[in-house]
Amino acid sequence: MLTPKNQSLIIERWERRLTFAKEGRARYISHLDLMRTMQRAIKRARVPIWYTQGFNPHMYLMFPLALPLGTDSRTESMDISLTEDIPFDTLLKMLNSSMPEGLYFVKAALPVRKHTDIAAAEYEVEIAPDVPAAEALAKWQEFMAQEEINIEKRTKAKKGKKPGVKQVDIKPHIDVLCAEERENGLFFRMRLPAGVELNLNTGTVMDAFESFSGVNIVDNYTKRTKILCFDGEEFI
Amino acid sequence: MKEIQQKIERLLLKTQKPARYIGGELGSVVKDRDKVDVRFAFCFPDVYDVGMSHLGMKILYGLKNSRENWWCERAFMPEKDFEQQMRENGIPLYALESLDPVRDFDFIGFTLQYELSYTNVLEMLDLAGLPVFARDRKALTPLVVGGGPCVCNPEPVADFFDLFIIGEGEEVNIELLELFERMKPQNPTKEEFLREAAKIEGIYVPAFYDISYNDDGTVREIKPNVPEAPARVKKRVIKDFDSVYYPESFVVPFTSIVHDRAVVEVLRGCIRGCRFCQAGFIYRPFREKNIDTIAKQTRCLCEQTGYEQVSLSSLSTSDHPQIEKLLDTLADYTDSENINLSLPSLRIDNFSDELLEKIASVRKSGLTFAPEAGTQRLRDVINKNVTEDEIMNTCRMAFEAGYGTVKLYFMLGLPEERDEDVVGIAELAQKIVDLYFGIPKEQRASTIQVSLSTATFVPKPFTPFEFEPQALPEEIDRRQKLIMDAIHSKKIRFSYHEQKISKLEAVLARGDRRICDVIYTAWKKGCTLDSWDEHFRPELWDEAFEECGVSREFYANRRREYDEVMPWSHLDYLVSREFLIRENKKAHAAETTRNCREGCSGCGIKQSYGGTYCGKVNS
Ligand code: SF4
Repeated sequence: MLTPKNQSLIIERWERRLTFAKEGRARYISHLDLMRTMQRAIKRARVPIWYTQGFNPHMYLMFPLALPLGTDSRTESMDISLTEDIPFDTLLKMLNSSMPEGLYFVKAALPVRKHTDIAAAEYEVEIAPDVPAAEALAKWQEFMAQEEINIEKRTKAKKGKKPGVKQVDIKPHIDVLCAEERENGLFFRMRLPAGVELNLNTGTVMDAFESFSGVNIVDNYTKRTKILCFDGEEFI
Repeated sequence: MKEIQQKIERLLLKTQKPARYIGGELGSVVKDRDKVDVRFAFCFPDVYDVGMSHLGMKILYGLKNSRENWWCERAFMPEKDFEQQMRENGIPLYALESLDPVRDFDFIGFTLQYELSYTNVLEMLDLAGLPVFARDRKALTPLVVGGGPCVCNPEPVADFFDLFIIGEGEEVNIELLELFERMKPQNPTKEEFLREAAKIEGIYVPAFYDISYNDDGTVREIKPNVPEAPARVKKRVIKDFDSVYYPESFVVPFTSIVHDRAVVEVLRGCIRGCRFCQAGFIYRPFREKNIDTIAKQTRCLCEQTGYEQVSLSSLSTSDHPQIEKLLDTLADYTDSENINLSLPSLRIDNFSDELLEKIASVRKSGLTFAPEAGTQRLRDVINKNVTEDEIMNTCRMAFEAGYGTVKLYFMLGLPEERDEDVVGIAELAQKIVDLYFGIPKEQRASTIQVSLSTATFVPKPFTPFEFEPQALPEEIDRRQKLIMDAIHSKKIRFSYHEQKISKLEAVLARGDRRICDVIYTAWKKGCTLDSWDEHFRPELWDEAFEECGVSREFYANRRREYDEVMPWSHLDYLVSREFLIRENKKAHAAETTRNCREGCSGCGIKQSYGGTYCGKVNS
């Protein structure tokens, strides 16, 4: 007879919030793959991780906010549970002992805010357009001066409704903190909605800009710099 | 190569599973390109998901990189979408570690695991910016080398390679790279280097052999044309298998691949001698690793990779002399670490209650058997030593242990196959279904599903069936219908393979050098990724054979005489021709041959090769 594992064990859990970086080649790890990658990293590090109970025990890992594929960040969050109370810096050292290129932990702490508090994120975007920077910047200003910025959004099939496309105005959600010329290209800082309620990626904004202006973005380097809560505080 | 990297990154977000094309995985080895003396691009001629699952590559990658001044990197066949993007954007085939173009490497090594990957080799060479024919690559480097099971008959791809590595690679790869490292400072010509390389046991340089043909199209003679090339090239064997190099870590991919887990090789070779099975002959003799070695390697790999699953690799894991003790030892470790132990290739004929329980405890969802033939007589013909009683007993145990799905694999078109053998496949499935319903409800699994799968038999070199014709496609179609008509239960499912693929495989497996032009022509017409149903283009292959004036039937459907010079006669896989003929005759008389553990049958392998049972009459 099969018996569920960990059944008889009474395990106390220590919650930890880890901040990690995902840069360089690691940018192209998809969110789904990241889960697996982190599980293996934790196993290698021999961190006393808490497993769920039942027939098929698995590690408890939780990512409060997904990072878009191709975006760089040093401010990503992952929650884990431990079965032993080990010091934050020891935990960091253990985890960082065997990580793939571009993926590393920068902070371990107790979770403070709830996942559902997350409401926005800040990004830095550097683009190399196929037209002179000044021209591209002028186009950008035109783009942002529009009354509405409508994009097509695919809708999922729901009860009685087929999947389709609908028009959404993203203009009210784009909060541009900075837009300037930099080294033959443009540099932006912007704040976009993130979290369970509403998510907007820089990719969507840039795609909309491309199709509005006819400018081609040849290279694009995007970095998430902050994850913010609804009250404007950083998510910690 | 910043420039290539930038170009690649521009494409990544537009492609499927981009992590496959950028490297950077844990365990991938990055060295300083200015501080290494030999650079080797290990190319797997199929997509990342398939190639990254391959054990041989992991072994040779680790082995070469264990030398500080050698750098071995990986390259795979891109999917069609990315390949097109690479061509449009001027990105040559690059290695995943450095992102440098592979054309700048010293060696480009392909592992040939199946015949249908041959066009991918040409595609990858072309994508690298290199001429596909060896004769058109005049410079010393890159040297294009091939290894793997298919090189037991490398003639159909001989024109594309500079040399082949025959047999097991762990020692000969080192010898070859050492030779290169020694000679490179003297700036040898390609021919000078190849002549020296040809002296290494296990190295076959195809350009150093002339082939002549008889009027009937068969090979007359294969003769070396330089003194350095031996008349017969002997395959390499690792004599002390227990202490052979094994990697301490694997490259751990980000994206999911076909077999995404730690793998430990527990034994090499096979004691069984199934007459259709090429692996059973070309990997002889049987050698196993000690339990302690396996346990140590399992632990080490799991710790280094963080994998949640480990599997034991071999042709037949249950033939390990101490299989139960081995599983005990491993299960203790894997259980305590929340690691899943998976055991493919367990045979049914030596399943014990105890073993079955172990497997149950590692949560497998179904049972897979390969009786290969539907009747005992035909199983005797192919020397597949599985009896119906054993199948029934195992199924009974399985049903009682709660398994509800049974998958059965068979071959169609075997030598001596008669209609009653074909119908026997459906009958066997029916008996299994009846067996299930004969067990009281409360003692058996809740559902039953028997899946039958048939593949067309492809005769392979270095097997007792290398002389046999492949059955014609129309005949196979007829036999498939026979099975379908004989199935009367909804609990039985039947699936079969595409005929055109099997026939092509049969030609490529036993072809000679005249097939090189056909492969080239088919590739030119756009054939690549032939092993993928969605990419296989039989009509283009048809055209290629036609244009080259090559008859497929000559290679696939002709019976070869025992004294015919085979296109691979100059390669010595240590198993004697006499033995293969003896086995072929026994097959036609439906006589079995005992397995190596029961007693050596004198296949020709010398005791000095380290085989566990070689030369022993009884154990
Ligand atoms: S020499 Fe004997 S024991 Fe060794 S592989 Fe051949 S038949 Fe088997």
